[in-house]
Amino acid sequence: MLDLLAYDFMQRSLLASAMVGGLCSIIGVFVVLRGLAFVGAGTSHAAFAGVALGYLIGWPPLLLAIVFGLATVWLTGWVEERGRMKLDVSIGILYTTTMALGILFIGLMKSYNAEVYGYLFGSVLSVTPEELRIIGALSVLVLSLLLLFAKELYFIAFDQEMAEASGVPARQMFFLLLTLVALTVVVSLKTVGAILVFAMILIPASTAYQLTHSLRTLTLYSACFGITTSVVGVLISAIWDVPSGPAIVLLATAIFFTAVLFSPKRVKRTGVVHSH
Amino acid sequence: MSSDGTEGSVSTDHSPIIRFDHASFGFPGLIALKDISLPIYDGEFVGVIGPNGSGKTTLCRAVLGLLPPVEGHLHIFDCACSELRCHHRAQIGYLPQKGVVDRNFPVTVLETVMMGRYGALGLLKRPGKKDRQIAMDALAQVDMVSHKDTALGHLSGGQQQRVFIARALAQQPKVLILDEPTTGLDITMQHNVIELVQHLHDELKLTVLLITHDINMIRSRVDRLVLLKTRLYAAGPPAEVLKPEILHQVYGKELVITEKDLVIVEDYHHHH
Repeated sequence: MLDLLAYDFMQRSLLASAMVGGLCSIIGVFVVLRGLAFVGAGTSHAAFAGVALGYLIGWPPLLLAIVFGLATVWLTGWVEERGRMKLDVSIGILYTTTMALGILFIGLMKSYNAEVYGYLFGSVLSVTPEELRIIGALSVLVLSLLLLFAKELYFIAFDQEMAEASGVPARQMFFLLLTLVALTVVVSLKTVGAILVFAMILIPASTAYQLTHSLRTLTLYSACFGITTSVVGVLISAIWDVPSGPAIVLLATAIFFTAVLFSPKRVKRTGVVHSH
Repeated sequence: MSSDGTEGSVSTDHSPIIRFDHASFGFPGLIALKDISLPIYDGEFVGVIGPNGSGKTTLCRAVLGLLPPVEGHLHIFDCACSELRCHHRAQIGYLPQKGVVDRNFPVTVLETVMMGRYGALGLLKRPGKKDRQIAMDALAQVDMVSHKDTALGHLSGGQQQRVFIARALAQQPKVLILDEPTTGLDITMQHNVIELVQHLHDELKLTVLLITHDINMIRSRVDRLVLLKTRLYAAGPPAEVLKPEILHQVYGKELVITEKDLVIVEDYHHHH
């Protein structure tokens, strides 16, 4: 195993997976609290359509992934605000439409392109130095914005209307959160792939949610779960030669079910404090 | 249509802090409130009553600056409703209709109250010692200091209402709006909450807008009652608003006035 760590590609993929694991699990806290789980799933498919289009017309795939991802989340946010359509319906439509576009773009390509499938299923072991720099820069950007607006994002996750009524620019903060989700999805595409990226956002935060009543601890636990499962998942992938995306996600799922079994919240459910 | 809303026992020597001027709210074709003209003065305790769907919550949202009028004007702190900025909103404390609190949301009582400081603080500023002190004072006002580190989801409904009132107070508001604060509480809790609101009005000189179905509970406490049913049917001292002919117009046969002048909601026919 130590031999493996000597390779450049291995160092790059461990670094990439640690960053992606940390980023996904921290933004995941706000996604879980605000109830945006399905939005992220839709966004990852839209971002993949962007990647496919990039390869088809010869543009930078990550750039188009960002464009597609942002367009989807903003449209979703706009629909939710208008209340014209149930959110699950509008996302369901966007989700499948963008996936259809992705498949169409792949079909239009003259030849088989293995790199595109890397974005679909994740291939962290093939992360290039340039991609690593992009992942690093976007991670720093997203985490800084999260930190700067943490108190507002926390408030809108708890009660958006209340936040707006008490003088927090809640709508802007909601769109900021959606934007950060889209950027996170794009950052993670190469590591875990479009189909599985959402697990990286949802599972570590949901695992931590089982274990604590404090936001600070929740975020800390979530980041720990996210980083650990990503790094260990990549090692498993390299050592046993299995795909990295499934290795990471299945490991995270195993930890999630363990946490559910031992959740103190499940125990407390029968013993609510009724002091008067 | 017995009143234009300007009468009342409160002195009118200063300009109102909230002023509805022939204001209508809703969407074209679906008007929730029509042609409302009503001034609300600094330090008033106003009760807002009316049947279900009469536009009471719409009135709340309008005063919060969340719903500009489609016709007419609404001025809050001398500012048009649509131009109400975040720092204005921070001066209005709001207790929304009791929704379902996610029992597992990771938030303690003190953290909930601290949220009341966020709007007033503005973006990019972290709450400091002073904000914590304001939040603790607000908790003391509602007598919940001993629960400050309890998870919000572990409290009873009445206790959660007190915490949410404390959060509104932490904004250090000029106006406090409460939308049916007693709904879903047992009778003792209902009295506790209304007494708390009265106390806050008296002690902190807050302008209070209290929306409720429980006319009996507030009639002796408020300065003015506002009776809504899409339109403004009456506004004035409780004795002037709670007249059989006015109530009958709004509530129909479901409401009778007994000899002791108590308002009882029940089927009129059973007594005849």
